[in-house]
Amino acid sequence: MKKYFPWAGLLGRLILGGVLLAAGLLKYQHLDKSQMAVRAYELLPISVANFLGIALPFLEIAVGVLLVLGAATRIAAAVGGSLMVIFIFGISQAWARGLSIDCGCFGGGGQVAPGATNYLPEILRDSALALIAIYLFRYPRSKFGLDRHTSDGEQING
Amino acid sequence: MANQKPGKDNFTRNLVVAVVVGVLLIMVGGTFLSKSSKPSAAIPASVSSSNGYGIVFNGDLKSVPVVDIYEDFQCPVCQQFEKMNGDYLESLITDKKATVVYHTLSFLGPESINAANAAACSADEGKFLSYHKTLYANQQPENSGAWSNDVLVVLGQAAGITSKTFTSCVNKMSYTGWVSNVAAAGAKANVNSTPTVFVNGKELDRKTEYFSADKFKAAIERG
Repeated sequence: MKKYFPWAGLLGRLILGGVLLAAGLLKYQHLDKSQMAVRAYELLPISVANFLGIALPFLEIAVGVLLVLGAATRIAAAVGGSLMVIFIFGISQAWARGLSIDCGCFGGGGQVAPGATNYLPEILRDSALALIAIYLFRYPRSKFGLDRHTSDGEQING
Repeated sequence: MANQKPGKDNFTRNLVVAVVVGVLLIMVGGTFLSKSSKPSAAIPASVSSSNGYGIVFNGDLKSVPVVDIYEDFQCPVCQQFEKMNGDYLESLITDKKATVVYHTLSFLGPESINAANAAACSADEGKFLSYHKTLYANQQPENSGAWSNDVLVVLGQAAGITSKTFTSCVNKMSYTGWVSNVAAAGAKANVNSTPTVFVNGKELDRKTEYFSADKFKAAIERG
């Protein structure tokens, strides 16, 4: 059973890393909109939200690239998982407070018409990604990664 | 497989991590620099930084409502808003009933920047309002290639602008610095949607007051 873990790890890396990379690149193309998306959560002071709107896409791209390459998998998975938990919290509080916003997860964002929100699928998706991150944190060894592991039976035979 | 020698050092991995993190840190720094407002950027006529770099009409009037409009020329909802309330806003300006400030945001992409730049050029010609109207009348799907600078010059002619300075102002993108200053000021003003309208600094009710001509009028007269 354990010999399949590195393959599962590869799949997890590609899914979580690919999603983060895509999300970061899409936001990067419209940074004004990204700032708007963060402000629309009405959680942070405006200046902090504007800062985060610019910094977040770069963080997502960095973590996404590292996961896809399998470099520093454990740390990248921890950061990626933390991001997902923060996103889930942000979306949930927006839902609970009755805000009408687009999550801005893949670009876009800002206020939308009441009824045009999509909170539940967004939360479920981010939860699934958070589970993948937890798996990768627990079992960071995976196929075709740059990380090296010593005395690692699974990888030699895997 | 090459990557499965246990005990091999992590040099490649560390190098990759360092490069990825380093490159992105440099990019993030550069982005913050380019996003910070540029006080030295050229600004069009009737603009002042105290109004969030907006294009101001009737700025000298006292005791009239101040109407701030944040919009993006490519935003379809802004076009609907313009259809419903554009003439009324123009009448407020010509009848000197309100100070009206137009903030031309550009978050929808490169053609929004082209359009905002061209609109600033039209302000220099004293034709902002008619150009504004012409742009919305000719709005195309976002970034479809429709609003190249050449087309924006032709639209200027349609709005009655024929001067050579306008043509070169549009083609040279003379006001891109100003466009990004408008965007930065809009971000500071917590504008999260277009159109967004403030009357005397208070945002209108998005559920009711934007798309009912009567309620919009009432909200502005209420001040």
